[in-house]
Amino acid sequence: MTTSARSSARAPDPDPPTHQQPHQQPHQQPREVVAAVLHAVAADVGRATLVAELTDTGEPVIRWSNRGASELLGWAGSDVQGVRLDRFVIGSDGASLRPLFRRERPTTTAVSLRTAVGETVACRVSTIPAPGGLLWAVQVDPAHSERELALRASADALEHRFKVMAERSPVPTMMSEQGMRLGHVNDALCVLLGVTADKLLGTGWIAYAHRDDEERIAETVVAVLAGQERELQARFLDSQRRVRHTDMRFTPLLTPGVGDGFVATLEDITERREFEERLNYQATHDSLTGLPRRARLWEHVGATMADPDAGLACMFLDLDNFKVVNDSLGHTAGDALLVEVAHRLTAAVRPGDLVARFGGDEFVVACATGSLDGALEVADRILRVLSAPVVLDGVEIHPRGSIGVVLRGPDHHSADDLIRDCDIAMYQAKSRGKGRIMVLDESARSAAYDTLSLVADLRQAIEQRRITLSYQPVVRAQDGRAELVSVEALARWRHPERGSIPADVFVGLAEEHGLVHELGELVLETACTALAAWQSQLGALAPPSVSVNLSALQMNDHLLAQAVKRTLRRSGLRPEQLCLEITESALMNDPDTASTILRQLRDHGVQVAIDDFGTGYSSLAYLRRLPVNFLKVDRSFVAELQDGHTAVVQAVISLAHNLGIGVVAEGVETTSQIRMLGQMSCTVMQGFVISPALEEPDFVDWCRAGRLLPAGTTP
Amino acid sequence: MSTALDVDAILDGLDQMAAARPVAAQVVATCNDEGTGAGELAAILGADMALAARVMKLANSAYFGLSGRVRSLQLAVTVVGFNTVRSIATVALSGIDSAKDLPEDFWDTSVHLAAAAGALGPRFRLTTADALCLGLLAQLGAALLHQADPDGYDVVRATTDLGTERFSAETLRYGICGPRLTAEALQQWRFPIEMVDTLRAVPSGADGVLLRTAYELAARLLDPAHRRTGLEQVSHRRVTESDAPRVLTAIRADVAALQTSLGL
Repeated sequence: MTTSARSSARAPDPDPPTHQQPHQQPHQQPREVVAAVLHAVAADVGRATLVAELTDTGEPVIRWSNRGASELLGWAGSDVQGVRLDRFVIGSDGASLRPLFRRERPTTTAVSLRTAVGETVACRVSTIPAPGGLLWAVQVDPAHSERELALRASADALEHRFKVMAERSPVPTMMSEQGMRLGHVNDALCVLLGVTADKLLGTGWIAYAHRDDEERIAETVVAVLAGQERELQARFLDSQRRVRHTDMRFTPLLTPGVGDGFVATLEDITERREFEERLNYQATHDSLTGLPRRARLWEHVGATMADPDAGLACMFLDLDNFKVVNDSLGHTAGDALLVEVAHRLTAAVRPGDLVARFGGDEFVVACATGSLDGALEVADRILRVLSAPVVLDGVEIHPRGSIGVVLRGPDHHSADDLIRDCDIAMYQAKSRGKGRIMVLDESARSAAYDTLSLVADLRQAIEQRRITLSYQPVVRAQDGRAELVSVEALARWRHPERGSIPADVFVGLAEEHGLVHELGELVLETACTALAAWQSQLGALAPPSVSVNLSALQMNDHLLAQAVKRTLRRSGLRPEQLCLEITESALMNDPDTASTILRQLRDHGVQVAIDDFGTGYSSLAYLRRLPVNFLKVDRSFVAELQDGHTAVVQAVISLAHNLGIGVVAEGVETTSQIRMLGQMSCTVMQGFVISPALEEPDFVDWCRAGRLLPAGTTP
Repeated sequence: MSTALDVDAILDGLDQMAAARPVAAQVVATCNDEGTGAGELAAILGADMALAARVMKLANSAYFGLSGRVRSLQLAVTVVGFNTVRSIATVALSGIDSAKDLPEDFWDTSVHLAAAAGALGPRFRLTTADALCLGLLAQLGAALLHQADPDGYDVVRATTDLGTERFSAETLRYGICGPRLTAEALQQWRFPIEMVDTLRAVPSGADGVLLRTAYELAARLLDPAHRRTGLEQVSHRRVTESDAPRVLTAIRADVAALQTSLGL
């Protein structure tokens, strides 16, 4: 190769410098300046400088060298003069030195220097062409000063220590160089993912991130590269495609002159997550059937409804006659039936549908469909698979259920709305004869809403003590006179919009919606307070005692006796001034508990009456053992007296007499009934003919007036 | 046959090209300063829309794993790294990004070399980004040789295999091979001396092992008729023939990402 040499070499300019020419080229400087620079360079021992020229064959030959060169090479200046440069300077990997000698521009490169003692020193050489184009200044510096070498060794050692620490750390660690590209991963990360490092370096690791978490990881890296520290939980798939849950902690890293990267540690939290998920599963799933519980159902329905366009149908299933199985075959058999039903339901629904155990023998299915026909198809299939026989304890059972179906509509704003409506539909199905499917109709929903609204009003009325009492005198009818022996307190509710609500309606609602305790206490308190007031107000004209009706549910309340005692104490009444009435049927729900509670009351001195006697199915054996003061003959039997049907009333009166307890006739509406009852030795009675139930002021007047019985009541 | 080649004239020519792309020149100069921050670099880069777009596109490429998520130029600079920004600016500075008269398959070769060098970097204790830049710029010298002697260089290209065989032919014809000419250009633009020396060592020398291996792998991907040199030999046993299939697959994927994003 021939490189065209520039032939415009000029001799140094001998003109003296002037102060008007401060930036003149060196060859234009005065001789004194040139001499001073040359002297300094010649004497400089800190830096090796030589002057070389190219021979005719293009080889650089040393023409001059300074003291620094002598120090570095170990040769005197006179020894190297005229010697080829490549005798001392070896190009990188033996490359020719010729390309270093450019006439237009300085050049720098790495070389090796061979010294007089045969030592090889790594150097950096710069060649600077002289203006004449024939000579070059050659400056040689050791590639690394001792200080640089020491610093580099120290940095290398430090880097090695950190590298060992990171590589041996049990915490999986990754370090990026640029963006998401990894430059280093440690052994623990390789173990976590079950792959070798080369598969993770660069962007390889991203392939092991869980597809659903890739986006979040990348977004996090973007924030970290912008200088933030971040943490996130992300899943990775190992070489066996098993999910590993990790806590990733990112820290930004700045490499001067290069750019930004990050270091991230990954804590394997798979086992912890599995434990948490197990706990969560147990909390949200029924331990008997394995089905989701209510909370999970609400969550699922709520999440589905978050999408306004998502089709959803809910069906409420209640097993018919489950109680019979439980009572006759025992709870173990009942549980086995529930488990079997759960299996059948799960098998009958479609993928994406949810079967939940609502409680007891109730299940709810959430169907991902916007079609009523589709939902009914599923409901129909459920009833079909449900009815296949199950053998429990050797007994073949044919389970049946009632299903209420509702399709999500514009009125359903929450999971509550939808599930409540399918519950209503289920009740409709039950009420129309069990074993059937009912789709919620508008009238049923209105009725249900109406009931709910009434319950809310009732709750408020109890809180605000707006449940009032009316009072019906109970008298001893004798010799044409009515002697007041007691008064029955009857609860009344006048609804501000609906008017008077029948007692059986609102007491039933109170029993059904858990308000009976509050209602019972209110009635008891009011009645006792009223009697105490009458006694001070009316003296001898006041009724001697007051009767208060108990709900069947109160007969399961073991704290009833205490509540009664407390009320009596507050009102200042003696226990015998209070008579508690309980219906015969309520008594027979759980005769043992009722007996215990009534005995507590009787022991305290409170009187007890059995209301509506003769309408239930009292066991006479129980009756004998029950601590009862009175039997109240039901109004239906009293009404029959005029038709000549006297046997039942006579039997009840005789029974009471024989057991040594009192008897009271209810619903006495005619003088002939008074007379007939008198003839049967039942003189204590109450009824419209004597007095209807009265408001409190009217009752006070009634007491004051004293009463004669209507004519014709004496035989 | 040898062709008179005035390297100094070529380098002078580059200086004139640089004057036409002042932003690119400023980017290169700024990158050389270790005290520069990503914000400062991004501010300079923003003045050259074409350069900025190229950096943004690269940062959002699959190569860096952040496809579509890098929305600011500063973050883009951070993601691709200063060295890569400098390399992209250098390509613009040399005028070869818009030059019509380039050796056949020039960009294909450059991108393959960049991807191959990037993939090999960590095995040679170099960051991927630094190695990528070496690969991307290695062929700059070949483009300059071609511009100086289009017909002659086509003959060299047509009659030699990519790699050491071609370096020898270039040296024989022009007195300097492509990578060494690249080194001279980069020295002119004050690139880090380590990078310059690495490029000088490509034809022979320990520092050139990474790029020689990258040339061998790129040649295998680009030319089915390429006469192979054993990877153990060319890489000084840093890469083995048994690694080759996996490495070549990774390079192929990176080539696709880089080609799209660099628009080359």
